[in-house]
Amino acid sequence: MIDAPSVGLLSLFLASILTSNVLLANFLGTCSFISISKDFKSSMGLGVAVTLVIGITAAVCWAVLYFIIQPLGIEYLSFIIFIIVIAGVVQMLEMIIDRFSPALYLALGIFLPLITVNCAVLGVILFMQIRKYSFPQAVIFGFGSGAGWWLAIMLLASIRKKLDSNNAIPAGLKGTGITLITIGFMAMAFVGFSGMIAVQ
Amino acid sequence: MSPILVGPLTVAGISAVLALIIAVLDKALNNYGDVEISINGGERKLEVKGGSPLLSTLAAENIFVPSACGGRGTCGACKCKVISDVGPHLPTELPFMSPDEIAHNVRLSCQVKVRKNIEIELPRELFSIKKYKTHVEKIRDVTHDIKEVLFALDSGEIDFVSGQYVQLVVPPYGDIKESTQRAYSMSSKPSDKKHVELLIRLVPGGIATTWVHKFLKEGDAVELVGPFGEFRVHDTPAAMICVAGGSGMAPFKSIFYNLYETSAFPEKDIWYFFGARTSKDMFYLEELRELQAKWPRFHLVAALSEPSPEENWAGDTGLITDVLDRYLQTVIPKNDKGWEGYLCGSPGMINACINVMKKNGITEDKIYYDKFA
Amino acid sequence: MKQSPADKQAFERMAPGIITAAGFLGFDERSPDRIIAEDERAFEELGLDFNNVADRLEELAHKGEAGLGEPITVGELLVQSGDARGMLPCPWEDGFFHKNAVSVSPADTPLEACVEGEDMLIYSELSIHMLRAHHFCQGRGSPFRLEPTLLKQLLF
Repeated sequence: MIDAPSVGLLSLFLASILTSNVLLANFLGTCSFISISKDFKSSMGLGVAVTLVIGITAAVCWAVLYFIIQPLGIEYLSFIIFIIVIAGVVQMLEMIIDRFSPALYLALGIFLPLITVNCAVLGVILFMQIRKYSFPQAVIFGFGSGAGWWLAIMLLASIRKKLDSNNAIPAGLKGTGITLITIGFMAMAFVGFSGMIAVQ
Repeated sequence: MSPILVGPLTVAGISAVLALIIAVLDKALNNYGDVEISINGGERKLEVKGGSPLLSTLAAENIFVPSACGGRGTCGACKCKVISDVGPHLPTELPFMSPDEIAHNVRLSCQVKVRKNIEIELPRELFSIKKYKTHVEKIRDVTHDIKEVLFALDSGEIDFVSGQYVQLVVPPYGDIKESTQRAYSMSSKPSDKKHVELLIRLVPGGIATTWVHKFLKEGDAVELVGPFGEFRVHDTPAAMICVAGGSGMAPFKSIFYNLYETSAFPEKDIWYFFGARTSKDMFYLEELRELQAKWPRFHLVAALSEPSPEENWAGDTGLITDVLDRYLQTVIPKNDKGWEGYLCGSPGMINACINVMKKNGITEDKIYYDKFA
Repeated sequence: MKQSPADKQAFERMAPGIITAAGFLGFDERSPDRIIAEDERAFEELGLDFNNVADRLEELAHKGEAGLGEPITVGELLVQSGDARGMLPCPWEDGFFHKNAVSVSPADTPLEACVEGEDMLIYSELSIHMLRAHHFCQGRGSPFRLEPTLLKQLLF
């Protein structure tokens, strides 16, 4: 049905976390990345939520793509369909978490619905489409990208915690300014991984 | 089928399927079915529909756990012990809980959802709490910021002990979209079972006090829930040393007139310390002086902290705590009946009075108070 | 600049009837971040410091407690530290505060004659916290508005 790239699942997983980190290599999902990384605990909650949502929506969207969109030949509508699917999955996930783990629901709070408009989620699904991943590959790529996003936000949250207690930062750079510069450095550091595994 | 229709129909179909799944999921997940609430080890059992907070579920069964904020988790009043496991304390509950209460699984009933059979403990007196439909019979200004409001019960009678309080149900008004409840001590006599009187001081920005001061009119229909509270006269021969200022007067007015009327606890001497800044801020002074004249065991000590020379104030002057100290040391007879402290007011005022009382030999277990917080 | 979700939520909670009856914004049409920015500028022009003002307000509230709920003269000011039942959350959700109301007015004006915001300040534990932590003086028309010029005039 599709002609999937021949890449091992483990290397795909590691690659999506490190070499092609959705945040630091592709700069997707930076909006919530910057605003939430102020706080360590919220970053943790959002990281978990993003990982879950990307993983699950990647699987669902793969099925929608190859069983509905391609057979009907309506690829030009795939953006709209993916967004609808993402919103639906997030809504269901929210209800299920509320029912079975109220503690996690409270910890995630507003972040769960916010993920609907997180471009990292749509980005990962579009990569999956362009790169023609098989189903196992799509799922692994989804969870891997989520984990990569989670790792990046935890790193940034830790760095910002240190930065906050530093009074030497010039007033004009405080807050978002120094955060953007920091992300730039982090992205450069992650480029260092790119020699290890190459997946496209 | 026309190719133009395929796209829209597919998008609509996918949306419809997702919406259907969500609707089915909602039905399945939010249906907790009928659950049983067992109170005080099975003394009372309630069959209720699950899914709502404990506070409102109990209220629907006519059991009113005291709540000053009406279930928004901001007052911390609706504490109740939950014996079965309903998950860890929520972040919204923790600010109101002492470590001891957390260890004993005391919860805020407005934050705990009834999802399965649960066992709880409630004070038995809550079973006698009712919701009363009333209308406002009279509103009177007693000072520039305190109103005396008399409510007449439309039906039934209220049984309460002097010193208890009721919750005033504030309907949505102006920009406020939700009904709230606030607690006020009753200043009326328990013998008048058809009326409830409250003293309400305007708090700037307060939802309930603004409503009472700016919106409430004579003839308006108002709901009251009650009675609540443990503040009351204790059955001992000890003399009562009562201190209150401002609207803290309310429970004492009820207590004094009730004792006078029923001649209850005849051995008790009663001292009432009432402090204000100037004589303009004093209220009920004539009535209380009249009561003192015809009732030998009642002693009124009214003190002004900052009287102006032109008022010709002949009574005591100084902060009420200093006056209290002076009287405890030199005026109030010490005998083997002992003293009991009764306080009503802000936490600052209560703490200051407790210190003065302790210094003069009243032990803390003999000091009873109703903190406004 | 885009508002962070936390700020946006905090601003929504300032509307009337969510945390308090009147809300935190009064009749002020400016958005809360504008109010904060303009008050920060006013503080700077008047030579006021948010921490110093908060300390001073706290000190007055504490001294006013000696009046035990009734007004009391502190220096040239009349201070009344009142208490109500219950607590209020901060709109930024970083704490719970007693619903007290402290009023500060010039000692030579009778209390009934004072007008909130013109010659009388009204504040609570929450106001002090919002001033210190968020530089938020509330909107014009809110009874708890801490007008920078009035702060300067009464406190220093």
